Amino acid sequence: MTLEKKENSYSICVGPVHPALKEPVKLNMEIDGEKVIGVDFELSQVHRGIEWAATRRNPLQVLFLAERICGICNMCHMLSFSRAIETIGDIHAPPRAEYIRVIGAELERIHSHILWAGVAAHELGFDSLMHYTWKLRENVLDTIEYITGNRITKGLITIGGVRHDIPEKKIPRILESVNFYYSHFDKMAKVFLNDPVIKSRTRDVGILSRRDALTTCAVGPTARASGVKKDVRKDEAYAAYQDFDVEPILPDAYTGEIHGDVYDRVLVRLLEVKQSAEIIEKAVKSMPKGPIAWEEKPAVILAKLKPLVGEGIGRHEAPRGEVIHYVKLVGEESPYSWKVRAPTYNNMMPWVPMLMGEQIADIPIIAASIDPCMSCTNRAVSADKTTTMYTMDQLRRLSFLKTRELKRGLGK
Amino acid sequence: MFTMQKELFRQLFKRAFTNQFPVKHAPKSVAKLLEDVGKGKKKINPPVPVPDDFRGKLAYDKDKCIGCQMCTRVCPSKALVFDTKTRKVKYYLSRCTFCGECVSICPVKCLSFTKEFLLADYRKD
Amino acid sequence: MIDLLVARILMIVPVTVLGIFIGLLYKGIDRRLAARMQARIGPPLVQPFRDVKKLMLKENIVPRDAVAWVFNLMPFVALASSIVLLMYVPLFGYPPLLEGHGDLMLVLYMLMFPSLALVIGGFASSSPYATVGAQREMITMVSYEFPLAITIVALAWLVSATAPGAAAFSFSAITAIPVWHLVGVLGSIGLALLFAVIIFVTTGEMGEVPFDSAEAETEIAGGLLSEYSGRNLALFYLASAIKILVLGSVVIALFIPFGISGYAGLSGIAGEAADIGFFLVKLFIVMFISSTFIRVAAARFRITQVVKIYWGYTTMIALLGLVLIGLDIFMGVI
Repeated sequence: MTLEKKENSYSICVGPVHPALKEPVKLNMEIDGEKVIGVDFELSQVHRGIEWAATRRNPLQVLFLAERICGICNMCHMLSFSRAIETIGDIHAPPRAEYIRVIGAELERIHSHILWAGVAAHELGFDSLMHYTWKLRENVLDTIEYITGNRITKGLITIGGVRHDIPEKKIPRILESVNFYYSHFDKMAKVFLNDPVIKSRTRDVGILSRRDALTTCAVGPTARASGVKKDVRKDEAYAAYQDFDVEPILPDAYTGEIHGDVYDRVLVRLLEVKQSAEIIEKAVKSMPKGPIAWEEKPAVILAKLKPLVGEGIGRHEAPRGEVIHYVKLVGEESPYSWKVRAPTYNNMMPWVPMLMGEQIADIPIIAASIDPCMSCTNRAVSADKTTTMYTMDQLRRLSFLKTRELKRGLGK
Repeated sequence: MFTMQKELFRQLFKRAFTNQFPVKHAPKSVAKLLEDVGKGKKKINPPVPVPDDFRGKLAYDKDKCIGCQMCTRVCPSKALVFDTKTRKVKYYLSRCTFCGECVSICPVKCLSFTKEFLLADYRKD
Repeated sequence: MIDLLVARILMIVPVTVLGIFIGLLYKGIDRRLAARMQARIGPPLVQPFRDVKKLMLKENIVPRDAVAWVFNLMPFVALASSIVLLMYVPLFGYPPLLEGHGDLMLVLYMLMFPSLALVIGGFASSSPYATVGAQREMITMVSYEFPLAITIVALAWLVSATAPGAAAFSFSAITAIPVWHLVGVLGSIGLALLFAVIIFVTTGEMGEVPFDSAEAETEIAGGLLSEYSGRNLALFYLASAIKILVLGSVVIALFIPFGISGYAGLSGIAGEAADIGFFLVKLFIVMFISSTFIRVAAARFRITQVVKIYWGYTTMIALLGLVLIGLDIFMGVI
């Protein structure tokens, strides 16, 4: 796609290496003065061939490979992958394991959102706020380390359960952490939502209308900030989420109106930190007793998984939005196919309506407002540039043809 | 309004949040610092303590190992490689991802985690 | 007379060295305090010296499309103009080195030189980031110049009204009697407003965070300076270090020219030393308020917001101060 040129306009590329982006993506901007008049982006700067590597490993190994897809929200990939396998084998994790999964996922959400808040502050040039929020983030990292043994990569999930139990003696430390976030929530909200400079930089900047959010298939906080009620935790109510009555958070819960701008996205994420803390508190207090895994011994799990045949899909509401994993098993040791769709993949198209007509100064904060994670997104790379690129319409036509073919096959 | 500004001013008079591990500022020569520490002239600030269930460097008890190769089957990064001559496994620390799958699968519990985490080195061995 | 001139010329080198030393030292203190406010430890105080040393050792890289001679000349222009500025401002309570050869008006114009050198260097480096940065820097310069000019004109007016015959724009006339002694209550309020304005303008002059859209690390990757490296960057760094001292001295000369020796009853060398020490303390306070604290405690403004703040609010406050001082003068005359 080439960008339209105008008289007196010039182009700036943000990325693949740029101080505003922590991960490589190339944003090509056509600029007129200080105004953005054209947006395009190029992906696949960090293709790692993870899906290929997975077809050479058994499911238990892929689990840890999946964890390495993303450095921040690693558990969501593990959980989605194991849920995909569980659908194939009709495996059900015991209730206690589901509760521990929820606790882990919500701790991860707190961690991810606070990390994002710091990055957003940095994009605005407010480094003190970045240092302050990351100071608050240490608490949840320590809690994660206390429960699972490592600060970032939790290694918490196994197929059909969890790997680390949360014994009675660890619960006070979790509750302490939850209370820490309760007590700091008001201050965080005041700093991010009432600070005059931050408000002037985020209010009515990078607006994504509800219509645009729906047509560009935004997910997660990006979609919710534009008023789309969409949350896998509510829509599918997997794991133990049905017990906690998770309501998708829309910005009008706090301000009474929905703008769909950067301010709303900050707001949604901050409120979700509080929501996560509430879920963890409830989950910890009402955790049922029982086993923590469908099958304790990894060797037995492997033996039981090997004969499985079928396709499965695992969904999970990651901090950034919905993660979907598709797995196909054909009765061999390693999966025949594995496809990961990370939330950033969906949240990138909204960049175009968000960035159009904004100033150069707002590019970093708008680009960061979807919480992009490039390494999670890059699943394919076109080595020779001659490969045809399909548009959405062409793809739709192809799928029609395929369906017709399949129907014909069924009729026979 | 101005909550952050007040907080920043307060922090000016507080101790820094940073854990000053191993020393406050980068020394001119690391070798000299280590020598001084060895002699007891200088002290190193301790790192943040790790919890009991910390997943650090693996400890491998060679005598207990029965050579069943279970750990090499589940290791996602091939950090444990079976040596056919000695019928034991070799542990490559630089490849290890500290997932702990080998620890949970080992039938004789000859693999376990230590709390050691300062594993960066110039040499690969 | 000629002896005096020679003595002054001989003084240029030590004053320059001292200016660079104090400027870099204050940069070190500034970084340390900013780090403490962010709950970090921060670099050692000598870090700016080390930075300069290292940059001096590094290779100069000139972009392929740059206008090489302009690109390489501008760092020298920036440093040279900063050093010249240093000769025109009163340091440590002493009269300026080149007193009688230029006044406040000259300093006002000269203050634009380092920034202009940055702008020209930015345009010459041919990078789109630097070009955007240079445009922004020009806009910022135009924006803060107006409230600054109002402030200086107000002070000169006050001096000429109360002490007729004195050269109103010369530093000696302004520092001779602290301006606060010349006004009544209304004028004091006016002066306080102008003081606030000049502190705020100093932040912009130094290109610190809320007004650093010309450099804007996360937006345009360092803007003006994005193509500069090695020795050229070191020269710009030194120029900005000297500018700290210059700006601080101007603010001190205009608003807080008090010495401490008179109050403490010291005279001779002890008195001089006390005054020099007091000057450094004043410089520190001005720097802490106008640079360190504001830079730590705010997010970056968009360039449109910078213009709005300087041309709108700051100019309004400066005009209000001017009117109050004017009222005070007229009431005094009547």
